[in-house]
Amino acid sequence: MSDCQHHWVMTNVKYGFVIFEKCYHCKELRTYFTEDDSLLLGDEYREGEHFYNRLESAQSFTFDLICTRCNRLETFNDLIGLFYCTSCMPNCQVEKLQQQYAPHKTWIMVAFGVLPDAKKNPIPQAKLDILSDYFNQRRDTTRSRIKIVSFELIADLARCKGGFIHDVGLLTKEGPSEERKPLF
Amino acid sequence: MPNIISLQTIKETLNAQIIVADSGLDDMIEHVYASDLMSDLLAFGKPNSILLTGLATKQAVISAHMAEFKGVVFVRGKLPKDNADKYARDKKIVLLSTQFDMYESCVRIYAAMSPGVLPTSATIEEQPPEHTLLSQDFHIQGRDFSNAGNVSTEIKEILKKIGIDSQISRRVAISTYEGELNVIMHANQGTARLIVSPTAIEVIIKDQGPGIPDIEMAMQEGFTTASEEMRAMGFGSGMGLPNINKNTDELRIESKINDGTTVYMKFNIEK
Amino acid sequence: MTVQELIKIMGLTPLSTFEDREVKGVFISDMVSDVMTAAKSGNLWLTIQTHKSIVSTANLADVSAVVITGGKKVPQETIDIASKYNIALLSSPLPTYTLAIKLHELGIEAE
Repeated sequence: MSDCQHHWVMTNVKYGFVIFEKCYHCKELRTYFTEDDSLLLGDEYREGEHFYNRLESAQSFTFDLICTRCNRLETFNDLIGLFYCTSCMPNCQVEKLQQQYAPHKTWIMVAFGVLPDAKKNPIPQAKLDILSDYFNQRRDTTRSRIKIVSFELIADLARCKGGFIHDVGLLTKEGPSEERKPLF
Repeated sequence: MPNIISLQTIKETLNAQIIVADSGLDDMIEHVYASDLMSDLLAFGKPNSILLTGLATKQAVISAHMAEFKGVVFVRGKLPKDNADKYARDKKIVLLSTQFDMYESCVRIYAAMSPGVLPTSATIEEQPPEHTLLSQDFHIQGRDFSNAGNVSTEIKEILKKIGIDSQISRRVAISTYEGELNVIMHANQGTARLIVSPTAIEVIIKDQGPGIPDIEMAMQEGFTTASEEMRAMGFGSGMGLPNINKNTDELRIESKINDGTTVYMKFNIEK
Repeated sequence: MTVQELIKIMGLTPLSTFEDREVKGVFISDMVSDVMTAAKSGNLWLTIQTHKSIVSTANLADVSAVVITGGKKVPQETIDIASKYNIALLSSPLPTYTLAIKLHELGIEAE
């Protein structure tokens, strides 16, 4: 079936929140996606050996891709959001790639994954390529292209000021966003 | 003469599927809103409108109800989530779903809205307001986002029952909703008191919250003290007080740091 | 019709610096997830969202321009990012529905 020239469309779009948590004891950072907004106001809690403290949350949305030609479903359970770089750290690998690709009219976008799992099992390059294909196949690529890279390239997650692409303020208006404080 | 179109015609012109239409499709629509941002509706929406939206949630229906809309059309074939249909049924709001996208839906409704289409029935009968005095208190639970909007909805229902003009009760509901949200965001609890007299409706919202340090600044659009979490949820727009100001005939705010805030709102009933 | 031509005809206000290109069809939504799912390359995107998220979304969906309707004030940060990515960010005082009707009368159809 690999001869199919895949034509991807988004499916299973879910709206929710990315939660950043850190364990007091082992200092490990974990991230996950949830559709449950009650988690946003929760206190720290214990889970096994860990004692998680909520650091930050952000609106996001997740999705899968399906090929309209061969019906192949590509799931993205390990993707919790698409993230944009704000060039906040000059020595960050994402920013360096941006600089490198900008003259070729290729824009970098970051696929944000699940921590700590991604440390052992990074988002596979093949999946990142499918994401890039999805955005490129529907655009006028003579003008510009999209390249999706993994969030592991971010130099310092705690200081990163990038943002998740999300549906802002569907309930009410949101004021101008303030600068985000370092996570920890 | 404004262009008017019936819900039935909108349904036909959009090849829409009926999700909720217990109250029929005879109502006439005067304005069309194409938006997914619900605060815009609350701030600028006019009654007897229809909402075209890609937001197929209860929030859309609640906002449409607050703004006194007749119906909501979900575009791009979206179907209701989180009991949006149940809410619409309760509030007698027509809910439709169309395969067309927002632009195509706008264009089709416009094309169907020819000036030749006249309302089939006369305007809604006006009931004289009962000259009874009413005073009722409501409790607002702080930090309880899941019940945000309950008090304002209840007040609106009461005003409707006693025959208050829908334009006024709509302004009361919107202002109370914003006031209610402020309490939920900033205080542990608060109360809302509704007082109806033959000439005016008053709503007084009190909380034991942190107080507002600079009321003048808080009155500016875009000012917010909501935390990152709250803003992530879409609250804390900094539209609250300015939105109340826009909808009230009289607004007084008294606030003491670490003591609490009282928002006094008055709406005149015109003869 | 190109973005520059449209600006002249419809009296739109350009906010960012951008490279002119052809407008093909219109897409209306305030949900970036919907734009990413359903907008087509070259579409003119009408929205009342002004958060900087819209620039990345416009970029990913390859729309020809973003029109902020209802005369909503756009944060400088959003304008700066749009200029950086060459995304045409325009403003119109008209509400979304009214602008959509005018674009239709101009002969721009949904793609």
